[in-house]
Amino acid sequence: MANSDPIPRDQAPPSDSEETNGADEISEEGEEEEDTEYEEFEEEEEELDPVRERERLKSIFRRLSTDPVHVRVHDVVIKGNTKTKDAIIEAEISDLFKKPRTVQELVAAASIANARLKQLDVFDSVSITLDAGPAELPGTTNVVIEVVEASNPLTGNVGVFSKPEARSWSLEGSLKLKNLFGHADIWDTSGAFGWDQSLEIGTGVWVPRFKSVPTPLSARAFLLSQDWLKFSSYKERLMGLNFGLLSTNNHDLSYNLTWRTLTDPTRMSSPSIRRQLGHNVLSALKYCYKIDRRDSHLRPKSGYAFSSTSQVSGLWDLRGLKFFRQEFDLRAAMPLGFWNAALNVGLSAGAIFPLGRNFTKLSTSVPDRFFLGGHSSLVCSLGGPSSLLGFQTRGLGPNDMRRVLNLNKDEGLSVQSDCHDFVGGDLAVTAFADVSFDLPLKIFRDAGIHGHAFVCAGNLAKLSEGEIRNFSAERFLKTFRSSAGVGVILPTKFFRVEVNYCHVLKQFENDHGKNGIQFSFSSPL
Amino acid sequence: MGDSRSSSDRHLFLVARKPRFGLPTACPSCLPVYLYLKLANADFSVEFDSSFPDSDHIPYVEYGESVALNNEKGGVIELLKEEAILDLNAKHTSLAIPDLVSTKAMVSSWLYEAILYELWIAIGGDVTHNIYFSDLPWPIGKILHWKKIYNVKKLLGVTKVNCEERELEIYKKANEAYEALSLKLGDQVFFFDNRPTDVDALFLGHALFVLHALPETSELRSNLLKHDNLVKYAEHLKAELQLDSTPSSTQPSSSSKDASTSSAPRRKPSSGWGAKPNPKPKKEKTEEEKKFRRRAKYFLATQLVAVLVFLSLMGVPGDSEMDDEDAVDYDEE
Repeated sequence: MANSDPIPRDQAPPSDSEETNGADEISEEGEEEEDTEYEEFEEEEEELDPVRERERLKSIFRRLSTDPVHVRVHDVVIKGNTKTKDAIIEAEISDLFKKPRTVQELVAAASIANARLKQLDVFDSVSITLDAGPAELPGTTNVVIEVVEASNPLTGNVGVFSKPEARSWSLEGSLKLKNLFGHADIWDTSGAFGWDQSLEIGTGVWVPRFKSVPTPLSARAFLLSQDWLKFSSYKERLMGLNFGLLSTNNHDLSYNLTWRTLTDPTRMSSPSIRRQLGHNVLSALKYCYKIDRRDSHLRPKSGYAFSSTSQVSGLWDLRGLKFFRQEFDLRAAMPLGFWNAALNVGLSAGAIFPLGRNFTKLSTSVPDRFFLGGHSSLVCSLGGPSSLLGFQTRGLGPNDMRRVLNLNKDEGLSVQSDCHDFVGGDLAVTAFADVSFDLPLKIFRDAGIHGHAFVCAGNLAKLSEGEIRNFSAERFLKTFRSSAGVGVILPTKFFRVEVNYCHVLKQFENDHGKNGIQFSFSSPL
Repeated sequence: MGDSRSSSDRHLFLVARKPRFGLPTACPSCLPVYLYLKLANADFSVEFDSSFPDSDHIPYVEYGESVALNNEKGGVIELLKEEAILDLNAKHTSLAIPDLVSTKAMVSSWLYEAILYELWIAIGGDVTHNIYFSDLPWPIGKILHWKKIYNVKKLLGVTKVNCEERELEIYKKANEAYEALSLKLGDQVFFFDNRPTDVDALFLGHALFVLHALPETSELRSNLLKHDNLVKYAEHLKAELQLDSTPSSTQPSSSSKDASTSSAPRRKPSSGWGAKPNPKPKKEKTEEEKKFRRRAKYFLATQLVAVLVFLSLMGVPGDSEMDDEDAVDYDEE
């Protein structure tokens, strides 16, 4: 800044006459100097304004981000929704903007609101702007939510997945129609065709909230047919309705009404399976509590997870299946500190009991029992005892001999097809330990390809039809099947592939355990 | 398994539909099998199935590791005879065989069709519901009932156009069968040589069902009542075999079932929902074929994995980038 105050030329005091010439000359010189200084000062000011402006803005942002700048939400304005009801959007975000008292809290709330609205999956984009409130109300802000509804309400996708409960992987496709009635409702139709000729067709609707129910609701009608002839000599056909009653991050409550039919077109089933053939109604309420604090569900390195699933069947009619089924699953992961390695351990258990008088003598339905075996990932799947690497799907546990055919009566020849039907167990326990580690080559590490070594064990026991009296915990522990192995995991965009070499450590008569290489394909999500 | 053994050496398990109307099993397909075992003085237990009314494999008899199903080789009785487990006809002379076979054919065809028509088309309603569907939830029972009626009409060739004509034909044949059987029986206790045969089991089952399960308005029942000796024959054997008492049955296997359901017609394996009969077992694959298939699967899987590894390592257009949609923009004035 200039040291002297510049005096405009027209306001300069007049000089004495005697010294006019000299003084004039001096004053003129002085004036010229002052003009120069003034001009220089103005040039300096023009150069310093942008800098000052930037500094000013920086200090504002700094203040906003660190100092508590008090603000209050005056109004929430919703724009852009031509089809979607205001009430739906307001219900998603109403609780978020009541509490914030500072700009920082408001920005955080806006971020959460943005995520919630996007989660509805009916908008192409969501933007939230904080606008100044009315002039007469200082310290207030208006929140402006601008949504762009999906231009194309019809979407579809196709994928290949494998599920723990299915025999193999399946090709799945679905079509979704979004926001048909403006309640952020999503209507979908899906179909899945399995490698094992299983077929599933379903159609359903999902709404984020309905009237006074604040949680998502869903309803689904489905038709599913599965072929278990190779393992248990029956084919299963299910047709029914599923209602999602409560769905939050941790809790899930659903009701299932299913007409189930078991048939045996080969007529080779064992007596146990033959007596289970026919029609049944499953009217069941299912509650699932799940908590997953692992850092990743594909390659967890720290954290824990727990899930509990309870199912009660026999609610609708006395003639339906009546049982109580409970599953637990506990996982933990901890880093080992070298090669990006982590140890994952898990323990799963499940039991099913028939309900009714003299329930210890009653039988349970085969499809509702527990089966162990298959190639599904030990670490990724969370939901009860099912997987035991090294054993075929439904490859161990209680079994019954299949039918004997007398082909040549005279010579006394008889043929028995593939010997045994696995009928499942009423009690199942599995446990595993898995160490995952990076592979030496950098190219593998960059692609996420890693190795793992595992050991797993599991067992099934029958408790129904009076067998509970013969159950012995000691014998149950002694008859645990186990296997160990190593493998490589390849996470690709389309699948998550596991290639494992399994070695069966312990198996019993009639078990279908096999040493060798196994492949597993699962969803990459 | 193929050894000829007498019935006393082996305990049999008969799975049939539930008892009703004072009969040990109310199903017209199951009752003859039950009576055959009774007439043969076989050592057997009865279990009831109430969950599969549209099956065609019920009734069935388990003996040892084998089973005789209703929808194989002419039925349970024929299979038991073929396997020499129980053969009521074994002691009859060869002279009686042609007569026996023709009588059996008449009972198995004309009277069987008459029962089917009377039960599912002429009467239906409560009788069929009580026999087959009472233990299933109402919607399922109703759907299966309609399905069964449709199948029976198809089997008997009954349409809206020819319904009356077909009815007359069926009743006419049933009447002729009753008259022939009445003449054949006369005053005897059994139809042939005063010894029980499979014809006795088949007709006795038919007669008891018609007399006790069908309502009084049934035309078939009225026709049978015209032949006193047939009615006396049925009542006499019912008392002698002590069919009035409920058979001792083992506890049904499933948790909520305690009654029987009926079977589908024996003639054609009109199978349950989606089931396709496959009587022949799969051809055993040779070791070489199994090995070849296994190697082929490994080869294909390895190729697929190699492609996936290549795509992963060479940088597939990867995961969607984090976009800025989550960022909140706001301005101040």
